[in-house]
Amino acid sequence: MKLAIDETRCKGCNLCTKVCPYKIFKEGKRPNRKGIVVPELDRPERCTNCRLRNLYGRQLCGVCQLTCPDQAIHWTEEEPYEPHKVAIEY
Amino acid sequence: MSFDDWYRQDRLPHIYCAGCGNGTIINCTLAAIDQMGWKKEETVFVSGIGCSSRAPGYILTDSLHTTHGRALAFATGVKMANRDLHVVVFTGDGDLAAIGGNHFIHACRRNIDITVVCMNNQIYGMTGGQGSPTTPKGCLSSTTPYGCTETPFDLCELATAAGANYVARWTSYHVKELEKAVKVGLETPGFSFIEALVQCPTAFGRRNKFRQVADHVEYLKVHSLLRAKRDRMLEAGEHIPEDMFVVGELTRRNRPAMGVKP
Repeated sequence: MKLAIDETRCKGCNLCTKVCPYKIFKEGKRPNRKGIVVPELDRPERCTNCRLRNLYGRQLCGVCQLTCPDQAIHWTEEEPYEPHKVAIEY
Repeated sequence: MSFDDWYRQDRLPHIYCAGCGNGTIINCTLAAIDQMGWKKEETVFVSGIGCSSRAPGYILTDSLHTTHGRALAFATGVKMANRDLHVVVFTGDGDLAAIGGNHFIHACRRNIDITVVCMNNQIYGMTGGQGSPTTPKGCLSSTTPYGCTETPFDLCELATAAGANYVARWTSYHVKELEKAVKVGLETPGFSFIEALVQCPTAFGRRNKFRQVADHVEYLKVHSLLRAKRDRMLEAGEHIPEDMFVVGELTRRNRPAMGVKP
């Protein structure tokens, strides 16, 4: 699973930076197209739900999603990793 | 299925201010309802007037957005007309405690099988920050510019005294606990009342030294006193600070209820 912030919904209240036990959300630096400073993700692969959701088959933690007043935080399904064969031509 | 499926995706983002806690409370309530496994056709959301009462407009079920303070009166009518419906009322403190106070007392007395989620932001947020019956002592608002001198309402005590079957209080910081409390409230036959203290950065925080949303949430976190700890402090004869409020499950009993599905 992959953690994602929906920039069309986020209003930049930074409540997620307060509640995440891993401190994955960091205050953003620059405003986006709507003038809202959306939080940045700091190494989101540490998130419990990202790592173990599919193993346990249920929602884990999820405090940021419940807390987000604008319903901007969600998880998306990731494509399984496929090794690619790269041919290098000299 | 998650609580996100209960939202009207085309209506989002909602109009609440940045950092308003109402969205959090809707999330928690919908997460609890999602766990109940109810059908969308059999669930009705009722609300009155106010910031919090805009909530049913963002939910993908039948809903009633009624006159100021009369949400509980309408909800009583819905429940009495069709007992198969699950009725959930979203209401604010100005809606429930001020103009709808009498409806609230009598809904508790009748013990109708509905669940009330009160988003208590301690102010009239939508109309410009006037003092409400739950504004704490000493807090500034546009009608109490020198600090509120009246004693605030304790809505949970009121609901307990009037006869509600389940009463709980949590804040917008305690999301998991609030979700569990709403779920227990939905399962309980009879009137269940869940008060959720929320932050209001625009009307309340601006005048009361909580300009940052995180500061107000921190205040709610620090000043909440668990019920078990309160009981222990009372037994030990310790003094409970004035500015603390009790959180947790406050009442759970089995009075005869009205309108329960046979």
